[in-house]
This record gives sequence, C-alpha cells and structure tokens, in this order.
Amino acid sequence: MTKIHSTVRAMSVLSIARVFAAVIIVASYLAAQTTISNKTTPNESQIAVRIVAEGTTRGAVACARCHGFDGASDGSGAFPRLDGQSAPYLADQLRRFASGDRQNALMQPIAKALKDDEIGAVAQYYAHVHTVPLPSRPVPAQLRDRGKQVAEVGDLSVRVQACESCHGPNGEGEPVSGVPYLGGQYSHYIGVQIQMFRQGYRKSQQMIVPAHNLSEQDITAVAAYFEQAPRPAVK
Amino acid sequence: MPQTLKEVDVVVIGVGFAGSILAKELAASGLKVVGLERGHSRHSVPDFQAPAIHDELKYSIRKGMMQDVTREAMTFRNHYREVALPMRQWEAFLPGTGLGGCGVHWNGQSWRYHEEEFIYKTHIEQRYGKKILDPDLRIQDWGVTYQELEPYYDRFEYLLGVCGKAGNLNGEIEAGGNPLEAPRSREYPNPPMKEQYSGALFRKAALELGYHPFLQPSGNMTRPYTNPEGMTLNPCAYCGFCERYGCEHFAKASPQTVILPVLMKNPNFELRTESQVLKINLDSTGKKATGVSYMDAQGREFEQPASLVLLTAFALNDVRMLLLSGIGKPYDPTTETGVVGRNYAYQTQSYVPTFLGEDVHLNSYMAGGASGTVIDDFSVDNFDHSSLGFIGGCYVLCGSTNARPVEFHPTPPGTPRWGRKWKDAVRRHYNHTAIFNLSGTSTSMRGNYLDLDPTYRDAWGLPLLRITFDFPDNDVRMSRFVTHKASEIAQQMGAKTVVDSPRTGPFTTTSYQSTHNTGGAVIGADPSTSVVNRYCQSWDVPNVFVVGACNYPQNSSYNPTLTLGALIYWTADALKTRYLKRPGPLV
Repeated sequence: MTKIHSTVRAMSVLSIARVFAAVIIVASYLAAQTTISNKTTPNESQIAVRIVAEGTTRGAVACARCHGFDGASDGSGAFPRLDGQSAPYLADQLRRFASGDRQNALMQPIAKALKDDEIGAVAQYYAHVHTVPLPSRPVPAQLRDRGKQVAEVGDLSVRVQACESCHGPNGEGEPVSGVPYLGGQYSHYIGVQIQMFRQGYRKSQQMIVPAHNLSEQDITAVAAYFEQAPRPAVK
Repeated sequence: MPQTLKEVDVVVIGVGFAGSILAKELAASGLKVVGLERGHSRHSVPDFQAPAIHDELKYSIRKGMMQDVTREAMTFRNHYREVALPMRQWEAFLPGTGLGGCGVHWNGQSWRYHEEEFIYKTHIEQRYGKKILDPDLRIQDWGVTYQELEPYYDRFEYLLGVCGKAGNLNGEIEAGGNPLEAPRSREYPNPPMKEQYSGALFRKAALELGYHPFLQPSGNMTRPYTNPEGMTLNPCAYCGFCERYGCEHFAKASPQTVILPVLMKNPNFELRTESQVLKINLDSTGKKATGVSYMDAQGREFEQPASLVLLTAFALNDVRMLLLSGIGKPYDPTTETGVVGRNYAYQTQSYVPTFLGEDVHLNSYMAGGASGTVIDDFSVDNFDHSSLGFIGGCYVLCGSTNARPVEFHPTPPGTPRWGRKWKDAVRRHYNHTAIFNLSGTSTSMRGNYLDLDPTYRDAWGLPLLRITFDFPDNDVRMSRFVTHKASEIAQQMGAKTVVDSPRTGPFTTTSYQSTHNTGGAVIGADPSTSVVNRYCQSWDVPNVFVVGACNYPQNSSYNPTLTLGALIYWTADALKTRYLKRPGPLV
C-alpha cells in the first residue's frame, strides 16, 4: 500500500482529482495481496491507471473489466493473467491485436483505440503488478507428468523441442526479449492459444511447428503443467 | 581373436553429413549398410536440451563435442625437420566426434565455391602466368568442375534449407544477393537471416567504399522449412549458441534435423555407435578392400566384411585411416613422391577488432551462427592480383556468431590480461565492439602434409596423425593486404580503435582459428598428384571411396561444408548410377 501511496504523491494535483475514484477502486481490488512498483514514470502510470480503470474517451474499454486491476483476470482461463507479464510482450501483442496480425474480435477494437504511448503505459502497468496467485486446480498426476516431459525435455518422435528452451525454466519467460511467461498462466488459456497458433489466428514463426506437431492430449498436458508451475518473481 | 560378422554390402566409417547422406542413398537403393560411428548416439531431443546445452564451460572451454584428446590426439610441427609433439588440448581447430559429426556443432555458414576454384591452377596460370606462384606452392585443378557440381550444390542446399538471397541466378545478377557468386540454377530455399546491428553499420561503410555487401547464406532457418526428405526444421531463435553446440530448436541444419531420422527408419541400415574403426582390411593383392576391423566400447574386436567401404570421417581422420590401412602411397615432402597426406591446407584466418563508441549498442549476443554481413570483393580471385605478388584472398564478414559471456570479452591493445583494469575494459567494450572475421584461402605447399607419427600412439596402440604445417609466405602477404582493406572499412564505420591484425606465422595450435582442415586425400585427374579420382574413388583400391574436406586440393576462402555436400551427392550419384551397375574403377 505504501508504494501505491508514493505513486499517488507523485501525481499532479489535477491528475489526482481526475483519477481519484479510479485509485480508490484499484486500492480496494488490490487489497493487501497486490503491490504496484513505481518503475513507470509518473506520467506513464497516470495514463495507465486511468485506462485500466476507466478506459479511454476514444473507445478503449477499461482493461480491469476482464483482466482485473491486479491482472489476475477471472480465473476462468477465458482471459489470460497479465500480472508480471513481460512489458515488451504485452505491448507487442496489443499492436498485433490492433493490426489484425493476432486475430481476436474482443481485443482488436480495444487495441485499435489505444495510442502507441497508451499501449506502452498499459503494458508497463501490468508488467509491474504482482499478485499472490490463487491455488491452482488439481490435475491428474499422469497428465501433469506428461506435460512436464514435453515442457522440459520435448518429444523427438514428433520433433517438438522443450517449451522451456525458449520460455525458460518453469516457463518463467524472458521479460526483456519479450518471451511470455507460461508458469502460473491459466491452462485453458494456454491450450486455446496453442490452437490459435495451429490455426493461424496467432502468428509466430517459433510456434508454428510445435503447435502443429503436438497432439490434443499433449496440449492439454503441457497447459496443465504450466498452470501449476511456480509464477516468476517480479523483478 | 576378432569376431567376424556377417557380410554386408556397404560399411560407412563415420556418420556425419557425408556418412548419413551416402548411407541413406545406398540403403534406399536396397543395399545393406552398416554405419560405424566412434562417438555416442545423440539427438536434438533430449541431448541438446536447454539450459544444459548452453554450458560454455563444458562445450566451449572443455570441448565437450570434440574428439577425446586423451584417447586420440594428433601431433604437430611447423616443419618436417622438426620433431612433432602431441596436442594435449584442442585449440586451433576442433575435430568433432559423435553421431552427426561436425554437422552438429558447426555454425551453419553455407558457401558455394567459385567456378575458377575447381580449375585453380589452370585459371591462375592463364590469368597471371606461372611467375605469380612461389616455387614451393602446389595448387592444382579438381578434376571436376563447378558446372558439374552445380546440381549437387543445389540438392544439398535444399536438403539443409539454406537461407540466403541469390546474387547470380543463371548468369543474371540479382539485387540483394552476392553479385560475385558463381551462377546458381535457382533461388535459395529460404530468405536470409536478420541483419545484426554491427552488420548494418558494416553494410553502410562497405557501400560507401564501393564494395558489395550482402547477408551470408545460413544453415540456420529463418522460417519453418520442410526439406525434400520430409524433415521439418524450425526457425532460429538467434540464441548465439551454434558453433561448438547442438541446437535445441531443430533450427540448425545437421544430420539429426535433415536426414538421420529418414535413414534410421530404413531397415537396410544399421547404426553402431562407439565403434572405433582400426583399419580398412585389404585382400592379398592390396587392390581390394574386404571390410573393416573395429573395436566396440567393451574392447571387443570385430571384423565387418563388406564389398564397399565409404570413408566419411573428419578430414584429418580420413587421411589417417588411409595411412593406417596402407591404401595409397604416403607422401614424402623431400622427394615429392607419394600422394596420401599431400596438399594439406588450412584456413588463413584473421580478425579486425573494431571498437566503436560507447553510445553504439551492438547487442551481439543476439546472433545466429551465420548471420553476418559480408563482402566477397576480396575472396579468392575476385580481384586483380597481377601487381600484388600473391594469389588468394578472404571474405570479410562483420557480425557475431555469439557474444557468450565466458568467451567473448574484447579489449583494446594495451589492456592488462587480468585484474581490475581488464574487468573494467571488458565492461566498457563488451557491447560496443564488432569483430570482423576474415576467412582466407590456404595455398597448398610442398612442405605442408600429413603422415603417421613415428613415436606417439593412441589408446588402441595405433600411430597418431602427424601434422606438418606453416603458413606459406604467399598467404601471409595475402592476409596483410586483405586485413588492411578490412581495417579501412572499420575506420569508415567510425570506430574509435581498429586493430589491423593480419595473420602472421608461425602457425600455432594454441589459439582457435578454424576447423577447416583440408587436403591429404586430394581429388584429381592425375593419380600421381591425387588420392581419389573425380568420383572420390581411391585410385589404388576402387571399392573404397573417400568423401571429405580431405579431397580439396587447396583451401578456399569459404567454409567447406556446402562444397562437401556437393561432393557427397555427386559421389552418391556416381555410386548409384555407375559403380553399383559395374563395380570397378570409374575412371
């Protein structure tokens, strides 16, 4: 909470007036389990908090409606968790939604309505939110073991390399180079995204072959494994 | 007593690129093929898995993928009047071992040679007269031409999925490629790699000086690629761990990613790893091979009879196996008689460290093994040598293959080699230094050769290979000239400090230069100056074929792998269409 207060102190009086209500909501949502570090510049964080809480006048819906103020989303897996996600990755994805390179009917109009500096600000906001994760759902041991094998070792018979070759140990990602974390991400979301790569709704040179070669069962297994993997520490 | 095994049609010694492709072609023709590999079996998954594969201490410093020097070393001397001593550690060059051979730990630099290189002697003498050649140089023609090899270059490029841009398509110069390359019959299978920042700076400077920069052709993929064998490769992640490492992404063309899975599925093929071949056995006439003797990991000796023996190990070890087996007459530099071991050559490598300002952030760790920007203007005979007094040249490449933290710490001259000042200099220059790499021709010379060491033996009691080599004066003059040209480009880039450091003799084995050891079992039209005929077939024992960089009569500017690939398919074709129908000498 002290970090939030320091962020608030850094804002100008005018801004405080405009986003006061939003901050109240943020604070109540975050409660004691969430902190926002103030690594973003004051101006950037003002922009970000406003967009997350209220959306923009140009028509972007408030991010918090689906993703929450803490980035944990609703846990259904329909929406990814964003807390602590790589900022370059989040910004890149928003730009891809806007251009249609990543096809998503919900996100495209929102991303299109955001200006480039707003995209950067929102990405920084969620990259620096840290939430204590909810307990993950139980997974049959056999499924989790198979997921672990694909994630850590890969499978020569289908020529799929270990997911962790790029996504890092425990799927913790490469925040600077924009490789997203998978550890602690919702399994349903991961599974759907692999399908998106397979069907061309998402474009990544690196993901084409693995998405095509993994069986349905292995996609489920690997997604289940990563949901249970520890969340990366926020740096 | 060695145990004699059931006879097979073909035995392959060494299962790298050459061994796996030839075995695949012949097994597919219905022949029973046994592949003998001295090293371990290994595959992309799980053997090259991250993060364990990115272990610099294990693979770069301790040479984890190389021939075990405690069991099989080589001896070295600069001159045949000296006594050679064994190398106790690999430094200058790195002979690979294990399934896939050097095709696992190479950088993926995929060059064709020029047309004139295959007729080098004829070409040089025609263009400049004989007087340009120092008296002890021994360049010669290949006995096979570029035009003959072109379809096989093409086939190998499509097997690997080489990424590049054509510069000369059937004689038409194409924008964006290397305008000086030999004509190719079709475009590369994949587009070139992303240009590094240092490469972009180099490109600008090279253009300003009137040169022709382009992106080097790469065996690391730029997009998902399925080759004609049905093998799918992944795009490269630019992680900077190619050379000396296996690729965890299925992104580097290697036997494991392009051909081995197809070969392993064929029931006509049997792979035996950890099988150390001791010699190729000959019948009483000495003109026919009967098979090979080898020892397995338990020390059991076997005789594997075969009607055809393919020698496809590392270049230096191919020559050693011929010498151990008594195939062909060993070369004697004093009388210049004999051929096996003759025309050993290397690579005349030099570097131009280019220290840029601290405001220039190169991020050189984001690199593939073959993602450099190059000029070909000073390669081989791409420039007029008539007033220069030497032959040969270098390509000049800017761009890193890695900036791995243990190995890469450029410091300007005058920096202490250790201590706080060294650390400060590393910190200061790490991200702001480009290293030009000049890969130069190595001209064969009378006194440079390979033979068996009279003193030192390996773990199996067999004589080690002895290397006698020093840089010919011609190559030292060449390196001085081209390195200076490269330094001018570095100055043009706005460098604060440029280290103009041409290669000088004597050759030493204690610092890495290149693994491109060539010659010793040279290809040619004349049995008195070559070991194999134009189909890589032994002149002396026609049921032995030797395919490797040991076939090259002299070494080019360019990395040898692609030309080896062309020779592999050329030989495979000769075997399938001619030799198998009528076994015997093809020439």
